[in-house]
Amino acid sequence: MSLFSRFMDGWRKYRKPGYYDEFDYHWTMTIDLDKCTGCEACVTACQAENNIPVVGEDEMAKGREMQWIRIERYWEGEYPNAKLSFIPMMCQHCDAAPCETVCPVGATYHNQDGLNAQIYNRCIGTRACAVYCPYEVRYFNYYDHEWDSPLEQQLNPDVTVRGKGVMEKCTFCIQRIRQAKDVAKDDDRRRVQDGEMQPACVQTCPTKALVFGDRKDHESQVYKSMNDPRNYRVLDELNTDSSVFYLKKVDA
Amino acid sequence: MNISIVPALKVLRPAAMLVIVILVGLVLGYWANATFVPGNSPEQPIAFSHKIHAGDNEVPCLYCHTQARRSPSAGVPAVSKCVGCHLEVATEKPQIRLLMSYWENREPIPWIKVHDLPDFVHFTHKRHVLANIECQTCHGPVETMDRITVSSRAVNGSAQVGHPWKMGLCLSCHRENEVVNGIDCLTCHK
Repeated sequence: MSLFSRFMDGWRKYRKPGYYDEFDYHWTMTIDLDKCTGCEACVTACQAENNIPVVGEDEMAKGREMQWIRIERYWEGEYPNAKLSFIPMMCQHCDAAPCETVCPVGATYHNQDGLNAQIYNRCIGTRACAVYCPYEVRYFNYYDHEWDSPLEQQLNPDVTVRGKGVMEKCTFCIQRIRQAKDVAKDDDRRRVQDGEMQPACVQTCPTKALVFGDRKDHESQVYKSMNDPRNYRVLDELNTDSSVFYLKKVDA
Repeated sequence: MNISIVPALKVLRPAAMLVIVILVGLVLGYWANATFVPGNSPEQPIAFSHKIHAGDNEVPCLYCHTQARRSPSAGVPAVSKCVGCHLEVATEKPQIRLLMSYWENREPIPWIKVHDLPDFVHFTHKRHVLANIECQTCHGPVETMDRITVSSRAVNGSAQVGHPWKMGLCLSCHRENEVVNGIDCLTCHK
């Protein structure tokens, strides 16, 4: 078999729906929009956990903001009958991710746990992935960001401080997943149990609108939540097969 | 016939200048490298010898680096650990007196880190020690070193002294031992 046909076989297998079923985990998140109050606690928690820089007013005006999770606001109607709804938006960890097909150096790829990985030291900063991403959740480091002293003391040592020219995005808190797997291994347990590990945004959500877990575990909270009749996925018509499920807001 | 050396000089002078500039640059570079870059075997504040401790007296690595089996970082022993033995052992030697001066001033010893990984690499000593990997597999024959030198694991499994670690060394071992998800990027990169 030639190298090319081997490559193409691997590629077809990789893009086929259900490919990730043969592995141990398939990390998934659900977001209940009925419970979301738009308080942005998740945004702050993410900022603290993942060493995300504060870019400042001028850079923000140029559209160079950094927030791996953001709250989008939607207004409906006119005052006094205006209605406001929120939707938290972060990397959807699509199983058929458009960003992965375009990276020329393979810095972003899908790993066996259903995570869309971003490998910072391999990234050369073409920003093609950000163009391909339909959710607009990839953020680029235009500068080497600095933390005013003593703020650099609160940086998370388990997360890289990204340098200039590197693309970054939500990782589902890979450092916490790794930690949970480490603990599970110590206890001679094969799998990480439900609720053992939560990303920073899920942990901090005051209304418990965000649920995180392993889709493979059918007893898990996230499995029940993602099969809720209200569930939908953002831009599902693009066939991205994303791992973040939203539960629709129901008007009373 | 009137032969002038002026045209020859016109060619040679810039060439000679270039050679001199390059030579001066090389000398300056060598000096700066030797002076400011710690290199693979920096001089430590106390001339601690792993050869005497781990080699001649066969102190186990984990006796001093106790954190290696419990945490990602192997840890440098506290001064109290050294003093635990050296209140009794070899108290008259000048290096031990230096050690005791740190102890009496209640100051940590400013050891210089030799084996350092880049910021974007996650490595946990715990998992590797619990998998019964010899320390020497990655750190080289530390028990023969008077001063610690960077060393890395060669592809054939033997330790190469004087070479910093590269990703291929991690991967070759992960491949040989068929580590579960061992060659996935996210296993080590963060």
